[in-house]
Amino acid sequence: MLSYIGRRVAQIIPLLVGLSLIIFIVIQLPPGDYVTMYIQRLEAAGGKVSEYEIANLRRLYNLDRPFYQQYFIWIRNIVLKGDFGRSLQWERPVSELIGERLLLTMVVSICTLIFTYTVSIIIGIYSATHQYTAGDYFFSFLAFIGISVPGFLLALVIMYLVFVNTGVAVTGLFSEQFVRAPWSWPKVVDGLKHIWLPIVVIGLSGTASLTRTMRGLLLDELQQAYVITARAKGVAETKLLFKYPVRLAINPMISTLGWLLPTIVSGESLVAIVLNMPTTGPLLLQSLLAQDMFLAGGFLLMTSTLTVIGTLLSDILLAWLDPRIRFGGVSEH
Amino acid sequence: MASTKHLGRREFLRLSAMAAVGAVAASCAKPTPEVIEKPVTVVVEKEVAVEKQVLQTVVVEKQVPVEKVVKETVVVEKAVEVEKVVKETVIVEKEVVSSQLREAPMLAELVAAGKLPPVDERMPLKPKVCNEMPPSQLAFQVGRYGGTIRTLTSSANWDTDIFVMCNEPLINTPGILGEEITGNICDAFQVNAEQTEFTFHMREGIKWSDGTPVTTEDVRFAYEDVMMNTDLTARPPTWLRSGNKGTGTPYVVKVKDDYTFTISFDKPYGGFLLVLGISGWRSYIEVLKPAHYLKKFHTKYASKAEIDAAIKEANVEGWPQLFALKDVTNWEMTYPPALTFPSLYPWILKETSQQGQIYERNPYYFKVDPAGNQLPYVDYLDSAYVADTEVIQMKILAGETDFSRSHPKFVKLPLYKENEEKGGFTTAMVQFHATSIDLFLNLTHVDPVWRQVVRNPDFRRALNLALDREEIIDAVLYGYASLPDFNPAEYNVEKANQLLDSIGLNKKNADGYRLGPDGQVFEIPFETGVQRTDMIPTLELVVQFWEKVGIRTTMKTIDGALWTQRSAANELKATIYWVEALWYNSPVGINLWAPLWDQWWNTGGAEGEEPPQDVKDLLDVRATITTLPPAEGIKAYAEMKKLVADQIYFFVPVEKVLQPLIFSKRLGNVSDSPDAIAIGVNFSAEQFYFKS
Repeated sequence: MLSYIGRRVAQIIPLLVGLSLIIFIVIQLPPGDYVTMYIQRLEAAGGKVSEYEIANLRRLYNLDRPFYQQYFIWIRNIVLKGDFGRSLQWERPVSELIGERLLLTMVVSICTLIFTYTVSIIIGIYSATHQYTAGDYFFSFLAFIGISVPGFLLALVIMYLVFVNTGVAVTGLFSEQFVRAPWSWPKVVDGLKHIWLPIVVIGLSGTASLTRTMRGLLLDELQQAYVITARAKGVAETKLLFKYPVRLAINPMISTLGWLLPTIVSGESLVAIVLNMPTTGPLLLQSLLAQDMFLAGGFLLMTSTLTVIGTLLSDILLAWLDPRIRFGGVSEH
Repeated sequence: MASTKHLGRREFLRLSAMAAVGAVAASCAKPTPEVIEKPVTVVVEKEVAVEKQVLQTVVVEKQVPVEKVVKETVVVEKAVEVEKVVKETVIVEKEVVSSQLREAPMLAELVAAGKLPPVDERMPLKPKVCNEMPPSQLAFQVGRYGGTIRTLTSSANWDTDIFVMCNEPLINTPGILGEEITGNICDAFQVNAEQTEFTFHMREGIKWSDGTPVTTEDVRFAYEDVMMNTDLTARPPTWLRSGNKGTGTPYVVKVKDDYTFTISFDKPYGGFLLVLGISGWRSYIEVLKPAHYLKKFHTKYASKAEIDAAIKEANVEGWPQLFALKDVTNWEMTYPPALTFPSLYPWILKETSQQGQIYERNPYYFKVDPAGNQLPYVDYLDSAYVADTEVIQMKILAGETDFSRSHPKFVKLPLYKENEEKGGFTTAMVQFHATSIDLFLNLTHVDPVWRQVVRNPDFRRALNLALDREEIIDAVLYGYASLPDFNPAEYNVEKANQLLDSIGLNKKNADGYRLGPDGQVFEIPFETGVQRTDMIPTLELVVQFWEKVGIRTTMKTIDGALWTQRSAANELKATIYWVEALWYNSPVGINLWAPLWDQWWNTGGAEGEEPPQDVKDLLDVRATITTLPPAEGIKAYAEMKKLVADQIYFFVPVEKVLQPLIFSKRLGNVSDSPDAIAIGVNFSAEQFYFKS
């Protein structure tokens, strides 16, 4: 077991080096750099940026150096000092910027996760046990709509309806007076009043598809011989359902939890942008648009590292659960 | 569409009429006592011979009910007795002496608590009386203190509307029209006869926002220790070189006394005052820097240990980077380092986060209203960060902003009008500071066939005849634009076809497209970075117009950054962009219709390609605009327009485009005159106030 884990961890290191290089290259691929974007923005504002300033900016951000030097300065600071650099557009440390938004992002993501799993498992069980009834058709219909309508569109429609009827723009996670206020009990309450909308909107498509998965898996289980046997032996219907088929049907859904680790940090970008939420998604998008390479790079490095770790965790988990994987891997060695 | 358009216009007219009535009513109000207005504004031009010329006289008649009435007009006239070539312009500004300056309640509290010196000590001896908008565009009202102006932005650490509100130049021009130059941070200035030496006198007693006096030491520091220090400045900027040319010799600064300094050039540079005053939002920062603050980060003044400690703290590479970070230019006034940076702006960055920014009034601000109230009226600016531009539109409609110039979009006009009542805002139609949507064909593109065709002025004239400008005005701009002076506005398809036939483009293929001299279909491929929303609908129409006369025309949308890159690399054949409509910026767009000729001109012939004589003549005229005093400069600008109209170097479908400007109904002193330039209104924010 230990050697299996050790081997997997050793594989991660070259993977991460490769990832960081690819991330840095991809960010640099679009034409121009941060200073180009900056000048473009100022010219749109009616200004002319003097050469004095352009030269200063390029020097300040090391943009006047060749690519490989920029990469080494960046990666050296991350590895040696744990310093992800300064965001060019915010002029603040990257870790600070992401850190500020991380808590709310995680709250929204975890709430969405809970919402998604609770609702989809309950409805999935109901649909499977009441196959081809009116209720099953109704939920199937809803689920197909949920799968096919993109979250941001739903957010726009809801915002439009609320605006037309009440004149209020339902955006953000807090009311205007709380946006910049320090944390307090009323702020938390205010946040809870707003959080349902993003949770429902973000969770909808996930809920819809998980409902369908749950229904399908459970239907498979319900036709198994052991269910018929148990029923023949007179096990109570509810006990029978929850003791075996549901537990088995949930299993594949749980094993994908490891993949959700990065999404908890990166959040749902599109919906968050439409709803103007103070989460990490819009921050990432803006940093990519503005070619803020340190913020975007730090961000992508973080999420891809989490993906790698998530996969590692689920692999270890699987190896622990399933001796075939563990021993199969070792014996081949 | 048509019905909403009409509704919009009617409502707009009604609103502007109401605003005008309000303004007239307000101007009838009695002036405040205690104020003695003593105008000594005189512009004297001393000419050769005996000719006396008094350009401007200010006569003030004011009924002051109580106390003393001062009615004084000083006209300085000097006849030149000796035959000497002296033509010197001296401008001394209007002066208001107030027996008592007044301040905002929030500052009065700080003074009472002993945390701030009294207002008389904070302000210069002669505070600047605000004149941000010319009287023809705004009936100024004395406002009341307090409130917060809420703005919206979709950029991190940047808010265009606030940037424009806060900027302060050394000298200014009311309404940014460039017709009159008045003092701002400087209260007097003088230009020598040769237009090579400019003497400025700063307001005595003017202070940085931390209370330190502003003196010529700050000017000397900016010049000697920053601009002339090769570690910090690779080369001084173009606008500080003679003739506003990259190849010109850099400026020379001489300090005369604590408040007087001169900037001189080796060649005449008459337009320098306007370049300094408004072109490109220069602000004061390249001429005047808070030396007492910046010396802490300069190797000439601080010890190595101090600098090293600061470098470590700021986490930068070396001292030039440290200085660049600490030296907060006006373009960076919205960035976190501006929190501690002394400035002269009306509001200063107080708080910044990922949700937005708060700006607080500068207690040392140097401007007053005519009644002696220190400006600005409004206590705070609150800029909310909204990632998505569509959400910004929604917030505008919901009335969640008090002032927005950069976000209102032409295409959304009906929507704004519809929601004015509910959102409590006014949508004023004012001048856009550029021509909005101009078409450029690249005369220096490498393709030889392309060059041969587009360089023929008759080809361009034919295309110009094929543009149905009325339709563009009606369909794209809802009628809020005028026919241009830059191009002849005649629309005549028949004549266009004849002209195209006459220049050898008379052969067509099966689809009816004209063939070029190489026998292939001649194609105009437009590429746009969509910097404005009205570019796409305009191009769609232009494609139709030109296809109608048999010229194959296509359009393609590309990323804004890619557009910039392709444009700079001379790779675009045809594009849509704008040129500024402000005469003193002498816009002619040659960087878009002939990048190589432009390069040749800018590098003094070292790079690019040599332009033909007619283009050289055009550029000569353009160069004179920035070296002439305003009245002559405006004439030269008209002449330049005539040259463009004759040769159609680029296509200007419309001019005098209006743009929607949105502000809260509670906000006063916001000009909604259709002659006002929107960005100039934006610039006058220190005189905005909340009526209730």
